[in-house]
Amino acid sequence: MVTSIHRRAACVLAATLCGALALAIPAGAQDAKPALRKVRLQLNWVPEPEFGGIYAARQDGLFAAEGLDVEVISGAAGTPVPQMTASGQVEFGVVSGDQVLTLRERGGSLVALFTVFHTSPMGVMVPEASPHRSLESLWKSDATVAMEAGLPFVRYLNKRFPGGKVKLVPTGTGLAAFERGTVQAQQCFITAEPVQLELRKVPVRVFSLAEGGYDPYTVSIATSEAFLAKDRAACAAFVRALRKGWASYLKEPAKYNPSIHKLNPAMSLEAMDLAARKQHDLVAPRTGDEVGWMERGRWVTLAGQLKELGTLKEQPAVIDAVFWNAPR
Amino acid sequence: MIARLLRAALPPAIVVIALIAAWDIAVRLMQPSEYLVPAPLAVARAFLEQRAELVPAALRTAGSAAAGFAIAAAAGVLAGSVLAASRFLMRGLYPLATLLQMVPLVAIAPILVIWCGYGPRTSIASAAIVSVFPVLAATLDGMRSTDPGLAELFGVCRASRLQRWWKLELPWAMPSIVTGLRIAAGLSVVGAIVGEIVGAFAGDASPIGIIILSAMRENRTDLVFASVALAAAAGFALFGLVSLLGWSLLRRWHASAG
Repeated sequence: MVTSIHRRAACVLAATLCGALALAIPAGAQDAKPALRKVRLQLNWVPEPEFGGIYAARQDGLFAAEGLDVEVISGAAGTPVPQMTASGQVEFGVVSGDQVLTLRERGGSLVALFTVFHTSPMGVMVPEASPHRSLESLWKSDATVAMEAGLPFVRYLNKRFPGGKVKLVPTGTGLAAFERGTVQAQQCFITAEPVQLELRKVPVRVFSLAEGGYDPYTVSIATSEAFLAKDRAACAAFVRALRKGWASYLKEPAKYNPSIHKLNPAMSLEAMDLAARKQHDLVAPRTGDEVGWMERGRWVTLAGQLKELGTLKEQPAVIDAVFWNAPR
Repeated sequence: MIARLLRAALPPAIVVIALIAAWDIAVRLMQPSEYLVPAPLAVARAFLEQRAELVPAALRTAGSAAAGFAIAAAAGVLAGSVLAASRFLMRGLYPLATLLQMVPLVAIAPILVIWCGYGPRTSIASAAIVSVFPVLAATLDGMRSTDPGLAELFGVCRASRLQRWWKLELPWAMPSIVTGLRIAAGLSVVGAIVGEIVGAFAGDASPIGIIILSAMRENRTDLVFASVALAAAAGFALFGLVSLLGWSLLRRWHASAG
């Protein structure tokens, strides 16, 4: 009897060990896969279609396929993304081209890796009924314009249209002051504020700053020089996933907008779809380049403009250090 | 008098100098990038280079803060006196008044722009809103603590309500009101800057709030520090003026002015 109990116990123990071993083999096989590299991407605004390719890459598992686990952190007005990225608090950040150059001059070694818009979506909008038909006409009037203080394009417009009498005020009221007519013009992203107003049946006219001669890389993704030097492979993998993500988003934004809408319910799906349509030609490559590819000449032009405007004391000694296009 | 002022100014001056020296030593040792922490000398240089813009800007901000403070002082003392006069009003309105203190100013500042328009009016309104509650609360507390014996004496002498307020309750509450005014003075500068950040005109007539915004956008941390130091100086000046006023009102009869 005792022997039988011992035998039964031995069988149970052997079966348990076999089971544990069987479970352990696939777990071991899983462990054999290289662990995903955790990185953070800090946005400079709330989730919107201007970041569509990022969310598409995440939704389609493109970051994971490149060995990356990307945490996308939403931003807000005033989030110090350039400083956070340059100081290494996050690995990647969404910044504008002028911020890359100005921060580098002050010791923050940012390097641009990818640009969402090859043509800047920045503009100035006026009501459709406005008498102003051009930036020059607006800038030489005594209109009140809502515009973020310190933006280089304000200096650009002052220089381009000297003797302007516009009164500049902050944009803190959102669209309320514009809709009430308290301000006669407001800075905008061609793909954002005019879209919201169009859906509210408020017709506006938009003057593109790019067409006006100031066309920096806007909504660029940058990293720090230190991170690029330390982990160039991760940067290249990140850019590859972004390129694929953006290519997918450009083809089929409606597939990805619902997940962006979940993160930013304040912007309707209808507005997101419209914004995606409006931004398409500003993002999709004009030539055979990849999405997000940056041209050296554009950086040289921007550095020259910022020097001329007094935003930069000196042009960067080596412009190629300012940006890095990951190999195709 | 001068010797007394010097004696009062010496300890904070020593602390400020020691802090600046520590800041300078820390920057020299750790050598952070200029965009993260500028050295004190860099801040001083930014101030000297931009003084033609910074000093008038600080005066504009101080003007808005002073106007907002004056409105808050008048409204706070008046409202505190009215609430102190009626238990019913106090129970009904005081909780609502405390809401003023809890309202996040940053959230309502854009609405102030819509109501008051762009320019100093928004900054003044913002300064007044943020600084009214300390004055109101201090006035109410001061008046409610009036000596009941003296109140009875005024009653026996058939003093009118106005006489009782002017000759008994207001003087009795004065030390408390002065304390409230001192707190409100510093807050009014904060309120004015918040108002400027959403509703001031940029350009030649920029106040400090706009210069801070602009300097942040341009990664000019040295200029941000210089602007903040000037704003603090404006707040300190207002605080000093209120303290001086309080001292001159109380020195003859109250121990707190000693």
